[in-house]
Amino acid sequence: MPDSLRTTNPTEETREIFCRVDRCLGCRSCEIACALSHSLTGELVSTFQEHSLPVRRIRVHGLGVTSTFTRHRVIALQCRHCHEPLCVDVCIAGGVTKNEITGLVEFDSQRCVGCWSCTMVCPYGAVVRLSGSGIAVKCDRCDGQDALACVSACPTKALVFCTLAEFLQMTTAAE
Amino acid sequence: MNYLIIGSSAAGIGAVEAIRKYDGQASITVVSEETTPLYSRCLLSYYLAGSVDVIGLAYRNADFFREMKVNALLGRRVESLNAARQSVLCHDGTEIDYDKLLIATGSSAKIPSMIPKGTNGVFVLRSLNDATAINSRISTAKHAVVVGGGLVGLKAAFGLKKRSLLVTVVVRSNYVLSQMIDYDAAQIVMKRLRDYGITVLMGSDLTTVQTNNNNLIGVTLEGKEKSLPCEILIAAKGVEANLQMLRGVEAQCGHGIITDSTQKTNLENVYAAGDVAETLDIATGERTVNALWTCAVQQGRTAGCNMAGNARQYDGSLGMNSINFPGVDLISFGIVKPPKSEDYEVLVDNRPETGIYKKIVLQGNRIKGMILVNKIDTAGLLLKLLRERSDVSNLKNELLSDHFSYATILAKQGQQEWTRYLTASRITGI
Repeated sequence: MPDSLRTTNPTEETREIFCRVDRCLGCRSCEIACALSHSLTGELVSTFQEHSLPVRRIRVHGLGVTSTFTRHRVIALQCRHCHEPLCVDVCIAGGVTKNEITGLVEFDSQRCVGCWSCTMVCPYGAVVRLSGSGIAVKCDRCDGQDALACVSACPTKALVFCTLAEFLQMTTAAE
Repeated sequence: MNYLIIGSSAAGIGAVEAIRKYDGQASITVVSEETTPLYSRCLLSYYLAGSVDVIGLAYRNADFFREMKVNALLGRRVESLNAARQSVLCHDGTEIDYDKLLIATGSSAKIPSMIPKGTNGVFVLRSLNDATAINSRISTAKHAVVVGGGLVGLKAAFGLKKRSLLVTVVVRSNYVLSQMIDYDAAQIVMKRLRDYGITVLMGSDLTTVQTNNNNLIGVTLEGKEKSLPCEILIAAKGVEANLQMLRGVEAQCGHGIITDSTQKTNLENVYAAGDVAETLDIATGERTVNALWTCAVQQGRTAGCNMAGNARQYDGSLGMNSINFPGVDLISFGIVKPPKSEDYEVLVDNRPETGIYKKIVLQGNRIKGMILVNKIDTAGLLLKLLRERSDVSNLKNELLSDHFSYATILAKQGQQEWTRYLTASRITGI
């Protein structure tokens, strides 16, 4: 899309959760940490006694061996909090909003009727179904906290929360 | 600057928000026929079913007009437009001037012509008033007939069934949702309808309505000897654009007002958005009215941006629907039943025993449409590929897989997608 179509320009300081594919082992520690941080007790064993199992909003996917990735690589993906999120446009309940202050795309679980319009348009496949209640959830960036469960749990420091410039610097240095 | 917006549903709200984003001071007037707008039409069937209350219907909070500093003229219908004088005339005689006008008058449900006007018990499901009226009749009714097997008809049928009525759906074609899915997908939906206790009559239509003292008591149907008793009839035979205010105006219209990619009409300073507007469909490349909430919001935003002087293109509308009934999750968009004559390629994964069905329609290695039933997680990825007109030759073996993910696209589409991944969210949502 040409520049003229931008309505908001993210600043250079905008941070995002990135995954360094040169470091990700696919251990799924991020998935477990994410699910736990969204559980009632936040503790692995007792979580299993909760009414419905907590759901992870980050997911590790295999990239396979291709021309782009010459070794077998994996990547963790989650909601990217788009600048012009399609999920905001399509939510029939008016339950998805872009928080102009924090930049986060927020799902209001009270309003969700489980129509999956957000699933229909998410270009990253980042919407997850909450088992039990059947409503749509996704990465809430740990409610806007800087201490992110997935990033903190990553044993190889593959998951990073930084600006694009910082991420490119890291990955270039690693090559 | 003096903005005037006719209509306060999806497109009107989208436009107000877009204008306010760029112009904090300008005067914005919204005229709406409804006295309590700002609710979600798509949720009316949920309201009917009793799963959403009036508060849950709200699409924007009650303070919306005040927060957006909008002069809201509610309960007023615009009768005509004087494009030369840049003003509109309301039914009560008020004349309102504008510098920029948005027509977002939406559409109305078609009512079969054989139904006498004012028959008690005959409804459409378009507005909160409609839903309230149906609601108040449910307690005294036993049978309901829904005429039309489209999305609105089926949603209404499930809602009424949930309220313990005996529900019959009468469908003209030989399967339900024929505008948005194919025969095989419809078999899954119809099985679920019947499992839920809803009667579906295919290849039939309404012949006459029977009344007693102007109250509906039954209907007769094509091909059925016996009449069917019913106290509620819901007409769900599609919608037509509300073009009435354009009578006598040189506006270019097809099924709706023809708009360009900025949502502007052929009239100076007049824009149109939502169910009343004809736009270019990105899958077919043809002009059409895609009367959908999602399209209306985006068209309203696009119009609002352009009206406020912030140039912005609409990349086109698309027939797209996400449906969830008990036991059915279904998403479809674009061309789902390609004509046999042309060079379309169709990928299908049909698992009738589990109720899972996937169909992807390609043309020249580009996705043109798809249907997903009961495995819908990959819909957004397929939509992204359609919208970006991506060549999917590399991905053909993966598109139907339950494990298809954004990582698959990253891996197979090479460096170009990787670069897009790193920069995309910084530019726009897609």
